[in-house]
Amino acid sequence: MSASSHNIIRLRDVTVLYGRVAALRGITVDIPCGSLTAVVGPNGAGKSTLLRAILGWLPLTAGEIRIGDAHPQHALPRLAYLPQRHVIDWDFPITVREVVEQGRYPALRMFHRLGQHDHELVDRALAELALTALADRQIHRLSGGQQQRVFLARALAQGADIFLLDEPMTGLDLFATEELTHIFLNWEAQGRTVLATMHDLELARKHFTQGLLLATELVAAGPIGGVLTEENIHRAYRDGHCVHDDPLGLARTTEFPR
Amino acid sequence: MSVLHLIIEPFRYEFMQHALLSAVLLSVSGGLLGCVLVLRRLALMGDALAHSLLPGIGVAYLLFGASTAALFAGALLAGLLTALGSAVISRLTRVKEDAAFGSLFIVFFGAGVALVNLSGTRLNLMHFLFGNVLGVSVTDLQITAAASALTLGVFVVLYRHVLLETFDPIFYRATGGRGGLVHLGILALTVLNLVAALQTMGIVLALGLFLLPAVSAYLWCDRLRTMLLVSVVVAFGCSVAGILLSYHAGLPSGASIVLCLGAVFFGSALGSPKYGLAARLVRVLHERDGVRPPP
Repeated sequence: MSASSHNIIRLRDVTVLYGRVAALRGITVDIPCGSLTAVVGPNGAGKSTLLRAILGWLPLTAGEIRIGDAHPQHALPRLAYLPQRHVIDWDFPITVREVVEQGRYPALRMFHRLGQHDHELVDRALAELALTALADRQIHRLSGGQQQRVFLARALAQGADIFLLDEPMTGLDLFATEELTHIFLNWEAQGRTVLATMHDLELARKHFTQGLLLATELVAAGPIGGVLTEENIHRAYRDGHCVHDDPLGLARTTEFPR
Repeated sequence: MSVLHLIIEPFRYEFMQHALLSAVLLSVSGGLLGCVLVLRRLALMGDALAHSLLPGIGVAYLLFGASTAALFAGALLAGLLTALGSAVISRLTRVKEDAAFGSLFIVFFGAGVALVNLSGTRLNLMHFLFGNVLGVSVTDLQITAAASALTLGVFVVLYRHVLLETFDPIFYRATGGRGGLVHLGILALTVLNLVAALQTMGIVLALGLFLLPAVSAYLWCDRLRTMLLVSVVVAFGCSVAGILLSYHAGLPSGASIVLCLGAVFFGSALGSPKYGLAARLVRVLHERDGVRPPP
């Protein structure tokens, strides 16, 4: 076995049922280490479910998931999950630094305080995401892009190398999107793995290198260009199990560069 | 008579000393728990919990008479049953947690009114609804001290867990935290302290000692730690002032404490330099004149 086999998210025949409805069915896919992967698909295709399953929050009806050789429950320190921004109460009385410090909490023992090592990690995470100058600022005084960076910094401070992001680009302006992409590309170069759900196919095509197209079942996986072909998109959005008619022809208005 | 005399003189009496001690203890736990309830938007749920204590008191009174310990145990049981019942209903049926709480507490409260009427005179009902600080017994004080110490202990030892579960439950869960347990623990502590506050504040007003200090502190503070501290200080100051007001003006203690807290709350909502109404008005006027507000 090569060393990289330890750094891979492997799904084998994963099926998740919500009651009698399948949210994911028979997904078998390898997500390589150090990849920038967009999880795309129509509403209800199981994008968020996939992230949650990898985190080990959902009982799998069938199949298995491995992070390297470990069960997800044993790989929690490597995983960082970023919820959608709207679930956070931005009026919470807390500063940027305090949020990033939370990344160190899981590693602390009951009666211990943050030590020098923890503070160094927090400082480094703040610096890497260009938040040092904002460290003492209230989180409600941040822009959308800055808010997203605070949570990325918390994930870094946590020591994670696999980042699961739920719709990270939703609601961000053009500049913030570019900034986020820049961060992701940097991380990819450093061997970190980013797995993000995206509902905007054009953004996914533009900013990600790998793609994973879902429609309850796996439609396609691999380099993003090969995944987001006209045929695949058509299959996922019209012939999939979450079938809607497409009277406006939305699925066909996207461009398909060869 | 000097002002100092007005403040010190009442505390020569033993019942006033008891009242003071009870207020100090409840301010600590109420101030702390209130902050979590406010930040988690559970303020109304706290109110529902408070109302649901009544049938426990009724049943205990019917079975054991006016034994303080039995009344506490009954109220505690009723409160925990409501919290747990709502959790079960919201998990297993389509009903959401707020609706489950709302339905359960109103049924419990109705049952409580019926039971208390069965068990004796209407005077009792008034007593439990509105409290009477003059009747704080040594047993009451012991129970209050235990509830307060437990709450303070949880906040000191498990501060990080409480913070994470309040601020970002999803992150807490993703990092291996047991969010449901912390959530239920907070609700259980709330019930315990509401029960402890019954004698002083009464069912209807007990939550005031939790929420009002926390909301006032929320209007002033930018850090959770300071908010917790300010909340406890406000709760303490207002309950002492309220007890004195109650003594001199002959008002029910719960009502006068809530009135003092209310004054602080409205003062904060109007005058807080960052998040108050006046501050917002100034900002709006500035922006209309095209002047950027100072950062």
